[in-house]
Amino acid sequence: MSENTETVFVVEDDEAVRDSLELLLKSSDKAVETFATANAFLSSYNEDMAGCIVLDIRMPGMDGMELQRHLNEKNSILPIIFVTGHGDVPMAVDAMKQGAVDFIQKPYREEDLLKKIEQALEQDREQRKTLGQKQEIMRRINMLTPRETEIMDRMIAGQANKVIAIELDISQRTVEIHRSRVMHKMGTHSLAHLVRMVMSVKDRIDAS
Amino acid sequence: MTDIVSERDDATILLVDDNAQNLKVLYETLKDRGYRLLIANEGEKALALAERHQPEVILLDIMMPGMDGYEVCQRLKGNPDTADGAVVFLSALDDVDAKVKGFSLGGADYISKPFQAQEVIARVATHARVIQLERQLQERNRQLESDQARILNAISEGIYGLTRDGEIIFANPAAGAMLGVEPQELVGRNFFELHFGDVADAGSLPVMGTCREGVAEHQRGITLQRPDGDTFPAEYRSSPKLEEDDVLGAVVVFRDISAELENERALDEARETVDAQRDQLAHASRLSTMGEMAAGFAHEVNQPLTAISNYVRVSARILAADDLNRDLAQQTLQKIEAQAHRASEVIRRIRSFVKKPATGKEVINVASLLEETRQFAEVDARTNQVAVELDIDDDVPDVLADPIQVQQVALNLIRNALEATRSARSTDPVHVRASMIDASHVRIEVLDRGVGLPEDAEDKLFHPFFTTKQEGMGIGLALCRSLIQSQGGEIGFERPDEGGARFYFTLPVAPVTAEQPVEEASE
Repeated sequence: MSENTETVFVVEDDEAVRDSLELLLKSSDKAVETFATANAFLSSYNEDMAGCIVLDIRMPGMDGMELQRHLNEKNSILPIIFVTGHGDVPMAVDAMKQGAVDFIQKPYREEDLLKKIEQALEQDREQRKTLGQKQEIMRRINMLTPRETEIMDRMIAGQANKVIAIELDISQRTVEIHRSRVMHKMGTHSLAHLVRMVMSVKDRIDAS
Repeated sequence: MTDIVSERDDATILLVDDNAQNLKVLYETLKDRGYRLLIANEGEKALALAERHQPEVILLDIMMPGMDGYEVCQRLKGNPDTADGAVVFLSALDDVDAKVKGFSLGGADYISKPFQAQEVIARVATHARVIQLERQLQERNRQLESDQARILNAISEGIYGLTRDGEIIFANPAAGAMLGVEPQELVGRNFFELHFGDVADAGSLPVMGTCREGVAEHQRGITLQRPDGDTFPAEYRSSPKLEEDDVLGAVVVFRDISAELENERALDEARETVDAQRDQLAHASRLSTMGEMAAGFAHEVNQPLTAISNYVRVSARILAADDLNRDLAQQTLQKIEAQAHRASEVIRRIRSFVKKPATGKEVINVASLLEETRQFAEVDARTNQVAVELDIDDDVPDVLADPIQVQQVALNLIRNALEATRSARSTDPVHVRASMIDASHVRIEVLDRGVGLPEDAEDKLFHPFFTTKQEGMGIGLALCRSLIQSQGGEIGFERPDEGGARFYFTLPVAPVTAEQPVEEASE
């Protein structure tokens, strides 16, 4: 499966469960990729993968919880649905704390599983969309000159052109030119939109 | 030594003669030779002295007024106190008749007058020594006899002396006590009639072989009659009294074993109770093991159920499709069937394991039993994330044991090994090996690279209520030992140099049955 095709990644050591789940999901028109071990999945993981993971919590070798930790370290945003056994609720709770979207107990009803998978895929789409938007915003911000960035920061802080001109000791006309360039480069006409765009990537700017 | 002592031990010599001159000469001849010398000049005195001092040798003159030497001799020999002394006649009568008469009255020797000093000295010395030795011998005999009597009286077994016909010629007090009569009352009765009633139609009775053929016998659990008609269970040993090749009779040693049999019966009962309790404990322990493994088993059953449920949905969709894919539908149904079998296999395994109580000993194939146990333990192996690996020698023969109990022990050891491995945060697999150690035993060992055992484990590891685990009861290994011992095997552990622990147990090889097909042997 290529990147960006929305795929359900099934990580399950039990061959029968894996095989039946694959058939089931395929018959529901899902793209499916299966892995017999956590390691196998981890070694083929890349951040362009889209979709969700259906992960057995109990496996020999690396178990589901451990795989989740490794994926978290790689900043994976793939939603994880843990598949648990009868006595694994405490583990599932832990998994949820680590950021899993959901868990489902074996044996499960198809409707429940599919519903959870749909929700996970929806969440992934959302996350990916926002992630895409943020990447665009960052790309645009990075196109600004230092002067333009300075002017934009003051615009967002709510300073009027006149105040900016006085404080930077430049003409009001120059401020207006910079301001229109910022709006142009950021692809918006509305100051309110600009503020929201910059605020949405604030954590990234702070980090850089 | 004895000779010297006996020579130095003053012998007493009585000199009897009516002639004072003769007495004097005899006295002079024998004095200073280490003898105690007594003198009598007539018969009555001689008898009185002899009775009081019991001389070894009496030199006795024949011709004496009043009582002559012959009569003195006769009377000496007639009195048990003086009979054993050696009488040496002294007389001038040098004729054969006189000598013969003297010997016929019990005389030991004869010295003719006039006597030679050297002859007197030599003959007295010889007779004194002979009599002393004889007396020592008699003393020793008396001691032996009294020792023997004491032993026969003290011994708690009954002892009979029998003639060839079975007549009782001796019975010790214990024999009497056992039969409720005085031992003397038994003497003279017939052993076979006394103890077995009417002997007429009896073919071969105990002890008969010893009496008739001279064959020693030993038998336990025979029934003997008492004179009052009562009976008791007995054990006996009989040995023949032989002279050359002739059987003279038999000695029978016997004892009442009622109390012993009673004790044995009580012991057997106690043993049965212990066995039953052990089986119950084993069963309880299996149930508790199953309880501990319940989550694992639920998982084991849930896997195929999950797969089945998925396949069913897939099948439904295949059937609902416009163009029915029969092959796919069929394949999926087959998969469903396989998974259903898989689930029922897990349940079968659990049921056979908790089966109550044990089924008894069977001929077991070691490899398949251990494989089954491994699948069982896999439930835990998954939780512990440690694999269990089997390594079974090709030449391991079948064993004779209770399969469930052996599986219980193996499972217990494997689960301990998995836990020890997990505690050491290791992922080294647990090895289960089976090999033949000698012609009659197979050894099964469970090796882990876990936390190992505490130093003092040797003394108490297999004792009840000793545990190194926080939640443990300390029953597991004690029970394992009891189970293995009841199979005729041993259980123990070793500390491998590389760390961890190696527990092992042995099982007896099953006897080879005769009706094995010949073709199999030639392969």
